[in-house]
Amino acid sequence: SQMTQDMLPGPYPRTPEERAVAAKKYNMRVEDYEPYPDDGFGYGDYPKLPDKSHHERDPWYQWDQPDMRHNWGEPMHWDFDMYTRNRVDTSPTVVPWHIMRRHFLIFLGTMLVMFGIGGMYPSYMPVGPKQYPFNDLYLERGGDPNKEPPVVTHYEI
Amino acid sequence: MASEPTLSSAERYRPNSFVSLPAELDRSTFDVSPERRRAEAERLAIRARLKRQYQLQLHNPNPAPVIENPALTRWVYARTHNVYPTFRPTPKTSFLGLVFAIGPLLFWATIFKVER
Repeated sequence: SQMTQDMLPGPYPRTPEERAVAAKKYNMRVEDYEPYPDDGFGYGDYPKLPDKSHHERDPWYQWDQPDMRHNWGEPMHWDFDMYTRNRVDTSPTVVPWHIMRRHFLIFLGTMLVMFGIGGMYPSYMPVGPKQYPFNDLYLERGGDPNKEPPVVTHYEI
Repeated sequence: MASEPTLSSAERYRPNSFVSLPAELDRSTFDVSPERRRAEAERLAIRARLKRQYQLQLHNPNPAPVIENPALTRWVYARTHNVYPTFRPTPKTSFLGLVFAIGPLLFWATIFKVER
């Protein structure tokens, strides 16, 4: 490619002149350009763009790349491949996030507590011992066929 | 509940890292001061300049084989080649490195040693 080394990303800009040069390099206004904080994480002078996914970009504007909703030469977000329209969507929700989270945690917590209590103190329908026909399955259990089987009644009148 | 001020549902919306603020609720979109207009005009000028460059290359009668996007090249370079030179061991990065890289290694090594 025909890019020189000064057109490629470099280290974190320290002086205002370096910031201006970096803003020009990334095709951004100097006031808009804001690098990632210099925490040693490896971002260098790459600009920190707003964390908005491509779902939020205008669908009716004539993008150079309509599927990516991206214009040629526009600085790409560090997580560009995460914010494509196939993946993460940061569109505003109808219900605020903290309310949704609260409702979900209340439901989940209640269900888990109920299941836990149910596991510790199980309760079943009362059952009696199973009743078998043919005098408690006398012949099937190996009783002598010539002898009279003992009479078994499972009822009381 | 007389002490709690009643908020409209729009004011109760709180954006975070998962959802963003819609433009209708964002107070800065209502700002039509000259400074903002000049800023928008400058951004439009940059966009228009880039669009012109792209369109010239796109509709060139003797086209180049590939229209290279320098923003894409910079993005790829920043994420691959520029990470190691700009990395610096700080308390935060070394702590995270310990937790996510060395921790699981030692954890699973001890588990396998003890359980098998």
